Amino acid sequence: MKKSILYLLTLLLVQTGFAQIDRSTYPEPAQAREIKLGNADAFVLPNGLKVFVVENNKLPRVAFSLVLDRDPILEGDKSGMLGMVGEMLTGGTSNRSKDELDEEVDFIGASLSAGSTSLFASSLKKHQDKVLELMTDVLYNATFPEEELDKLKKQAISGLAASKDDPNAISSRLASALNFGKDHPYGEIDTEATINNITVADIKSYYATYFKPNIAYLAIVGDITKAEAETLANKYFAAWKPGDVPSKTYAMPQAPEANTVALVDRSASVQSVVNITYPMEMSLSDSDYLATRILNYILGGGSSSRLFMNLREDKGYTYGAYSSIGSDKLVTSFRANASVKQTATDSAIHEMVYEIRNLRDNGVTEEELEAAKSNLSGSFGRSLESPSTIANFAINTQRYQLPDDFYTSYLQRLNALTVEDINAAAKKYLKPDNMYITVVGNGAVIQESLMAFGEVNRFTNMADPERQIAMDENLTANDVLNRYFEAIGGRDKAEAIKTSKMEAEAEIQGMKLNMSYVYDENEGKFSNKVSMMGNVASHVVIKDGKATVTGMGNSQELNDEQFEAVKMSMFIFPELHFDDLGYMVELQGIQEVEGVEAYKLMVSNPTGTSQANYYSVDTGLKVKTESQENGDMIYTDYQEVDGILYPMMMTMKSPMIPMPLASKVQQLEFNVPITEADLK
Amino acid sequence: MRKFFFSLSLAMSFGFLVSAQNRIDFKEFTLDNGLHVIMHQDNSTPIVAVSVLYHVGSKNERPDRTGFAHFFEHLLFEGTENIPRGEYMNKIQAIGGTLNAFTSNDITYYYQIVPSNQLETALYMESERMLHPKIDQIGVDTQREVIKEEKRQVYDNRPYGTILPETMSRAFAKHPYQWPVIGSMEHLDAARLEEFMDFHKAYYVPNNATLTIAGDIDYAEAEKWARAYFEEIATGPSEFYRPDIQEPTKTAEIRDIIYDNIQIPAIIQAYNLPPKTHPDAYAMSMLSTYLTGGNSSLMTKELVDKQQKALAIAAIPLDLEDGGVFLMYGITNMGIDPKDLEAEIDMLLKQVQTEGISERDFQKLQNIIENNLVSKNSSMAGIAQNLAQAKVFFGETDYINRELEYFRKVSREDIQRVANEYLNLDGRVVLYYLPKSAEVTE
Repeated sequence: MKKSILYLLTLLLVQTGFAQIDRSTYPEPAQAREIKLGNADAFVLPNGLKVFVVENNKLPRVAFSLVLDRDPILEGDKSGMLGMVGEMLTGGTSNRSKDELDEEVDFIGASLSAGSTSLFASSLKKHQDKVLELMTDVLYNATFPEEELDKLKKQAISGLAASKDDPNAISSRLASALNFGKDHPYGEIDTEATINNITVADIKSYYATYFKPNIAYLAIVGDITKAEAETLANKYFAAWKPGDVPSKTYAMPQAPEANTVALVDRSASVQSVVNITYPMEMSLSDSDYLATRILNYILGGGSSSRLFMNLREDKGYTYGAYSSIGSDKLVTSFRANASVKQTATDSAIHEMVYEIRNLRDNGVTEEELEAAKSNLSGSFGRSLESPSTIANFAINTQRYQLPDDFYTSYLQRLNALTVEDINAAAKKYLKPDNMYITVVGNGAVIQESLMAFGEVNRFTNMADPERQIAMDENLTANDVLNRYFEAIGGRDKAEAIKTSKMEAEAEIQGMKLNMSYVYDENEGKFSNKVSMMGNVASHVVIKDGKATVTGMGNSQELNDEQFEAVKMSMFIFPELHFDDLGYMVELQGIQEVEGVEAYKLMVSNPTGTSQANYYSVDTGLKVKTESQENGDMIYTDYQEVDGILYPMMMTMKSPMIPMPLASKVQQLEFNVPITEADLK
Repeated sequence: MRKFFFSLSLAMSFGFLVSAQNRIDFKEFTLDNGLHVIMHQDNSTPIVAVSVLYHVGSKNERPDRTGFAHFFEHLLFEGTENIPRGEYMNKIQAIGGTLNAFTSNDITYYYQIVPSNQLETALYMESERMLHPKIDQIGVDTQREVIKEEKRQVYDNRPYGTILPETMSRAFAKHPYQWPVIGSMEHLDAARLEEFMDFHKAYYVPNNATLTIAGDIDYAEAEKWARAYFEEIATGPSEFYRPDIQEPTKTAEIRDIIYDNIQIPAIIQAYNLPPKTHPDAYAMSMLSTYLTGGNSSLMTKELVDKQQKALAIAAIPLDLEDGGVFLMYGITNMGIDPKDLEAEIDMLLKQVQTEGISERDFQKLQNIIENNLVSKNSSMAGIAQNLAQAKVFFGETDYINRELEYFRKVSREDIQRVANEYLNLDGRVVLYYLPKSAEVTE
């Protein structure tokens, strides 16, 4: 393929002469240089790999970028797997351990990285053979080690935990789930459970199915000639075996029928993260692609957009307000977002909705259109500074089946757009009455003011609906507790139990933990000992109105406030003692927890520490407790012991432990004699 | 379109240390009013980067008026006597350009990248805001609110967002580096319009500024325009307040816990560094690469890969004119006690201090640095900024071509030496970032 160069002429005037400068007006621009768009050289290997070469000798370096073009994949109960493919690929090969691979890449100052649909390597020119050898070793001989996956899962779960506190992560998770649905490749959500489900076999099978040259594009960019690139491509990639790759289709997500507000209550927030969004179809090959670029630029594409000027420069509500219209083969979304002052959350949303509606109803001005054209032309011109742009253009042209002159005619087509074209696009694509208005912020402060924009639905930080289920208004906290006592076998039976000994066992990262509990309510004594491989890790003893914690060789008596907090756990059935301990118990409705509907009781002790207890609406049994200090405890596998139902499995979840800690009761005795030795 | 300014003399004077770095050519001159102008020509893409570096940052502020330099970064987009309020950003973008600015402890940097036929407009606009920016109450009031939201967004509402300010306030007891660049909202609230005006007169003047023009230009034409637009601007004060404050060497560790809205604990260590221009700065930069740069680096390999005690770990030499900090942070993996991670970090630091680094690792560092320096000057925007900083910080614009030379002077022994000299475990700042939920029980 010969190099063809396109000349794009401009109509701008040449400036001549330099008289006294006039500061009252902007200088006239000089004649614009033509924007030259070099073509990429292209060839196809016999195995179907399409290769594009862009030579650029400014810097003595070369980059090799491989991308796979496949349909999006729904990961389902393995959500998160795709995110691990890249690191598994670079986790070691049959020729090199991960340590050796890392060392060899770093030693030549190169980069090598992979993703589920990409493999990238770059280095100085002089190391190009070495870096290609490393890249293709990964491509052909990756071993996908089990221990690497274990590490990645651990990191992913930590990352997930961190994301639950990050307002921007919460916001984008919520937007994706609402726009596309959780059963769509773009809307599904990684959870601890889906991450734990991932196996090496899943990753190997993904690799075996999708890493095929016939769906791949290789861009070679930098200080390299076409002839040299062709030799290298043949040398390193000809051995890659082609194969059939499955295709997938998905139902098209729809925008909501009316505006709805989705709120995630994050009480720590000092700002509200607002994201107004809905799904839409738009891709590079769409005839409205360029019109929607202009439309978005005017609405919220930069710091001279309507959103920015209104919310930041005029009102000072935010550091920045922006919008975007994506582009994707399958489906994408419209988004308008800003982190706004808490007290101005509703005003900011009002202005954002106003700008979207106003643009749809009243269109753009000629001046805005011209400014948008210049800006988009400018950014197109700037993008050409990077040699990889031309390679991307060539790849996109094939991937999206664009007309051959898509990029060479880009500026002409952009400049041919009229106000009417943009206004038509505004009417077609802006949907001020069919949006999800998502807000992550302090619910107690902002929730009420949000009702002006539509029905307010509350969501969790994992984008699950925070279910508020209708409840019999006459029901009281005491009724819930009475139902609980009935469910476990009757209040009198529970009250008759005064002492208990319990042994439970759990496993953490391959190590066994043994927990023994001793309760003596007659004497007001309690002991909880946790041992790991025979050594006592911690021991809590309550007696004589004092609590002592021993661990790691230190022993410490708890102060009054701490004592009050641990006292909650010194009873076999704490519910029996709420009254005499002066605890406040409040019924706060029905919520879905652990897959069942449950009554939520807030239990607060006299020093103000509180925990939430959940009792199943269906069975009456206790399902879960939540407290800020101790994390979550989930009760399952109720079994009868001496006529009383007791949970044989207790699972603890806390940010301070890596995985949910499931402890299984091994032995449980009621009303057995307790001696001083049992507390030791 | 091949351009290859390989510097033979450089290659010869440093023997085997042949540089792969392509030479950046430039021309420079100083106007009578003191404005220094640097130009770099590269006609391969029809764009040009125009920037002004003002040698003023948060360290030049009064202790009771912090945040002024950053405030000006915002204010100088408000407009000038000839450019109406709100039009500055619009105009640059409407001619197909892009623009932004940043403020650090040492400098404030404004830049725009425009189609090359709009160079004159970019120069006109930059000269306007140096000559006569409009600083009025409306602009001050609006930007004050914007900055409050910027602070909330960047620091307060973002997990771990306060690491830098919390570290700097402890790493510096005397030096103005102790306060954050964004400043105190109380100070900004208290400041009167005249105070902002005075600050402008004191620092935003030609003899405290460097104008850089890099890209598709004609040298003669660019110089002619630079002179035409900037020459008439009156020179500023003959002296500038630059704090001459020696931060005393710490003899005791400063250790604190910060409770933040996070779920995963992080540990931060900070060690005071020598001034940016000190020869040891290069060795410290190499040390940071040895510790955490790349998958095979000492700490990444040991703590993230092998022991899996850290989710991420990084050592960042935050070089500043008067000596910044060597900032290390480690985010613990779930269930790992930060104390445990810190003990491992300290052990590895001691290992470098006592054993130094191997010849192979030293060679690896050389290769990584060569690659980084080659990639550093890959865009006009990057070249403009590197040229300006070379002149302002290192006193010679040609530093941009000599940086590798300085790195090559560092020996293997130097790396061990600086590890001992600056990473003083007894005079450092250590912060634990813990989840707020842990606060109640501690």
